[in-house]
Amino acid sequence: MSLLHRLEHAGDALAQRGDMPTEGRYTAGVAGERFFRAIKDEGRFLAAICVECDITYMPPRLYCEECFARLDEWIEVEPVGHVHTFTVVHQDLDEQPLPEPRILAFVALDETDGGLVHDLDEVDPEDVYLGMPVEPVLKEEGEREGSIRDIKYFRPVMA
Amino acid sequence: MEAFVYDTVYLRRDDFEEGKVLFETWDPNAQYAWDAGIAVGRYLQELKKGHLVGRSCPECGQVLVPPRMFCESCFHPTDRWVTLADTGTVMTFSRCYITWDMVQLEHPEMPAVIAIDGASPGMGIMHMLGEVDPDALEIGMRVQAVWKPPEERRGAITDIAYFKPVDTPNEGRED
Repeated sequence: MSLLHRLEHAGDALAQRGDMPTEGRYTAGVAGERFFRAIKDEGRFLAAICVECDITYMPPRLYCEECFARLDEWIEVEPVGHVHTFTVVHQDLDEQPLPEPRILAFVALDETDGGLVHDLDEVDPEDVYLGMPVEPVLKEEGEREGSIRDIKYFRPVMA
Repeated sequence: MEAFVYDTVYLRRDDFEEGKVLFETWDPNAQYAWDAGIAVGRYLQELKKGHLVGRSCPECGQVLVPPRMFCESCFHPTDRWVTLADTGTVMTFSRCYITWDMVQLEHPEMPAVIAIDGASPGMGIMHMLGEVDPDALEIGMRVQAVWKPPEERRGAITDIAYFKPVDTPNEGRED
């Protein structure tokens, strides 16, 4: 057997197999906590403002990305926005076909300088366009858990 | 420039379990396959068949176990497989009265480095000792592999269950 031995099939590799039991917990953080609690408890969307830099952060941050100042100024914003960009997903993470295509969009919230990545629904993929006005559909109050999934999806604003 | 200092928030297990903080959980699929490589790959295959094998260096004559594709003494590529005995000599040992996760043991685990017969002097592998009184352990003790039955072997170092002392007298060994 030479040193430049080449494996023809991945299964030919002699491998020791194992499994590491791991569970990750990702906290929302100080600003995220306040943001999600406001959605969960009151159905309100909060943004943080840097007065110096004139930036309205959505999702809100603890500090300004431009000047690093702590952001203590918070405002409520209307949860209406528009599709900044979107993609239509036909496969899951294991490359299996999805029963229904899923539309993922970055929704820019109009009163802020940011936005949220979320699902679009109540619309056909062919009908989505950049700039389309959208609004969130929230879960019922008792069902909300303080997660991004408290927003079920965004849908076109009914004219 | 102004320095900003932010409060640090320490979280405890209870903070999660009592719902004091919002969090997402994530269960990554952390299965892995560690490619044993050419030398150790063959070594593991041979263990499954009940053999210990080494690799010899054409330059300096070392016989390496576990086998490697390069000689660790002279960096020359090794070029020959050598079948070794499943007997050897205890070079060093330990008596462990707790497990790796700190459970107390009544009967100690006895890991040892065992120089394998047929490999270069002092060249050996780490394994467990068994069928021996912990107090009777000594450096230089002659031991032999106790193999798992063939149907239980997986091509792993644990295909050898442990090493046990052999009765062959140690007298006359000069290495």
